[in-house]
Amino acid sequence: MPVREGIYGLLAEFDTPTELVVAAKASYNAGYRRMDCYTPYPVEEAAEAMGFDEPKEKGVSRVCLLGGILGGLAMFTLESWISIWAYPLNIAGRGKFSWVAFIIPAYEWTILWAGLCAGFGMLALNRLPAPYHPLFNAPNFRNGATSDKFFLCLEADDPRFSMTDTRSLLESLHPVSVIEVEH
Amino acid sequence: MEYGNHAHQLPTDLGAPAPVLRWRFRAMSATAIFAVLSGIDLLISHRFDYVLRGWLMGLMICLSFCIGGLALLMVQWVTGGKWGLLLRRPLEAMSRTLPLVFLMFLPIAIFAKRLYIWARVTDPQAALHAGLIDAMQAHAIAYKRPYLNVEGFWIRGVAYFIIFGIFVYFLNRWSLQRDFDTQHGNRFWQKRFENLSGPGLVVYSLVLTGMCVDWVMSLDPTWFSSMFGFMFIVSQGYAALALAILMVLALAQYEPIQSIFRVTEQHDLGKLLFAFVMLNIYMAFSQYLIIWSGNLPNEIRWYMDRITGGWGPIAGLDFLFHWVLPFFLLLSRDLKRNKRRLATVCCIMLFARFWDTWWLIAPNFSGDSRNLHFSFGMLQYIFVPAAMVALWMAYYFTTLRTRGLVALNDPHLPEILEPEHAHA
Repeated sequence: MPVREGIYGLLAEFDTPTELVVAAKASYNAGYRRMDCYTPYPVEEAAEAMGFDEPKEKGVSRVCLLGGILGGLAMFTLESWISIWAYPLNIAGRGKFSWVAFIIPAYEWTILWAGLCAGFGMLALNRLPAPYHPLFNAPNFRNGATSDKFFLCLEADDPRFSMTDTRSLLESLHPVSVIEVEH
Repeated sequence: MEYGNHAHQLPTDLGAPAPVLRWRFRAMSATAIFAVLSGIDLLISHRFDYVLRGWLMGLMICLSFCIGGLALLMVQWVTGGKWGLLLRRPLEAMSRTLPLVFLMFLPIAIFAKRLYIWARVTDPQAALHAGLIDAMQAHAIAYKRPYLNVEGFWIRGVAYFIIFGIFVYFLNRWSLQRDFDTQHGNRFWQKRFENLSGPGLVVYSLVLTGMCVDWVMSLDPTWFSSMFGFMFIVSQGYAALALAILMVLALAQYEPIQSIFRVTEQHDLGKLLFAFVMLNIYMAFSQYLIIWSGNLPNEIRWYMDRITGGWGPIAGLDFLFHWVLPFFLLLSRDLKRNKRRLATVCCIMLFARFWDTWWLIAPNFSGDSRNLHFSFGMLQYIFVPAAMVALWMAYYFTTLRTRGLVALNDPHLPEILEPEHAHA
C-alpha cells in the first residue's frame, strides 16, 4: 500500500458526551458525512446524531440478511440436488423431493451464514482489523479516547472539508481543542 | 441544552384514559352485532352443533388472551426488565378476565355430548356395529374411557380454573399492595413475586397442557401428540403478547402510559414478539416433522384431515399468516420502532390465531374433515368467536379501568421515566 500523506482530518476534543453529541449533530446538519465519534464507552446518541439510522448506513443488516437467504437457499438446493439427481433415494414412499426433511439443515445454514455474515461483515465494513489508524498520531487522542475524553473527527475526504471553514465550525462548538491529524 | 436531563413526571391520575370507555362501547356493539348475525345464521342453517364448535374456538382464543396474559405476567416477574413494567398492568387486567372465561367454558361442558364424540358414544361396540364410528375410534374411546368421560371433564375443567384463579388472585392482589407499601423494600416484593411466578410457570405449562388436551385434542379421540401442549403454550404467548403490545400502543397515545412509553421498550417488545414467531413455527413444524417422518396410520390421519379435500390452501395460508408475514416484517428494525407498523403486525398475528384455531378445530368433525365446503353452519366459526372475543375485550376494558395503569414502587419506574438512552 502506498504511503498516504497529508491531512486525515480535524479532531475536536470534548469533555462531556453531551457536547460531543451536540457537535456531531451540528456537523451533520452542516452537511458533513465523513466523520466519526470516538468515546470511551458506547454513546448511542452519537450514532444517531451522525445519521446512523439512515438507510445507507445499514450495511451490516443487509449483509446479514443476504447471508441468511443465500445460506438457506444453498443448503436447500444442495439437499434437493442430492436427493433428486445425484443419489436418488425414495425413503418410505415419500418421493424424492421430501422437502419437510430438508428444512432443518436449510434452517441451520440460514442461521449459520446470517451469523457469520453479520460478524465478519461488521468487521469488514468497519475496515477492521486496522493495525494502523492516523488518529493515534494525535497525543491527546492516544491518552484520552479510552479513558475520559470524547472526540469528533471530521475527515478530509469529505467534499465539504476545508481547513479554514471546518476548523471554524468545530471551534464554534466549544471544544477543548481542535487539531490537525496527519495520515 | 438539547441533550439535558428531562425525566418525565408521572401524571397524578394513573387511571385508564377516557377513550377506553369508547373502545368498550365499540366492543359491546360488536358483540351485539355478531351475536345477532350468529342467531340469524342459526335460523338459516338449523345447526346448533356449529354454534358450539364456534364457541369452542372463541373459548380457546379468549383463554389464550387471559391465561397467556397470566403467563407473560409471570415471565416478566421472573426475568425482570423495563418491558415488564410497561406491560404489567395491561397483563394483570388480561389475567383478571378469568371469571368471564370460566363462564364461557360452561356451555362447552354442558353440551359436551354434542361436541365430543367420546362423550356422545356411551357404548363403543354398539356404535361400531351400527356404523357410527370406525374400529379405530371404537378402540380409542373404550381405551381412553378412564380419562375421557364427562364427569372427569367437568372435574378437571373446574380444577384448571381454580388453579389459575389462585395465581391470578395473588399476583393481582400483591401488585396492588406493593403500590402503596412503605414498610418492605423492593427485595421483599421481588422475592415474593418470583417465588410465586417461578413455580407458577411450571404449573401453568402442566395445567394448560391438560386444558388443550381435554378441550381440543380430544375432539379426535384417536389422535395424540406430545407436542400439542407446548404448541398451545407458545401460541398463547404469541397471541397474548401481540394483544398486549397492541393495547399498550393504543394506550400510549394518552396519559399515563404516554409518559412511560419509550421507543427502546417498544423495540424490545418487537424483538420478543419476533422470538415468539420463531418459537411458534418451531413447535408447529416439529410436530409436523415428527408425524411426517413416522408416517403411522393412527397419527398421520390428523394431518390428512387438515390438508386434503380443500383444506390444503387453508393450511398454506395458516403458515403465511402465522410465520411468513410476521417473520419477514419483524426482521426490520425500523418497523419494530414504528408504532403504526408494529400495530399492523400485531393485528396480522392476532388474525393468524383465529385462522389457526379454526384450522385446528373445524376439520375434527365428520362432514368437514377432508372436505372443505361452504355451509351456513361454517359461518358460525366467524360470528361466534367474533362475538365472544368482542365481549372479552369489553370485559377487559372494564378490568383495565379498575386500577392505575402504571405500577408504582418499582425500581424500574425511575429508569423508564428517563429519556431514551439514559445510560449514556
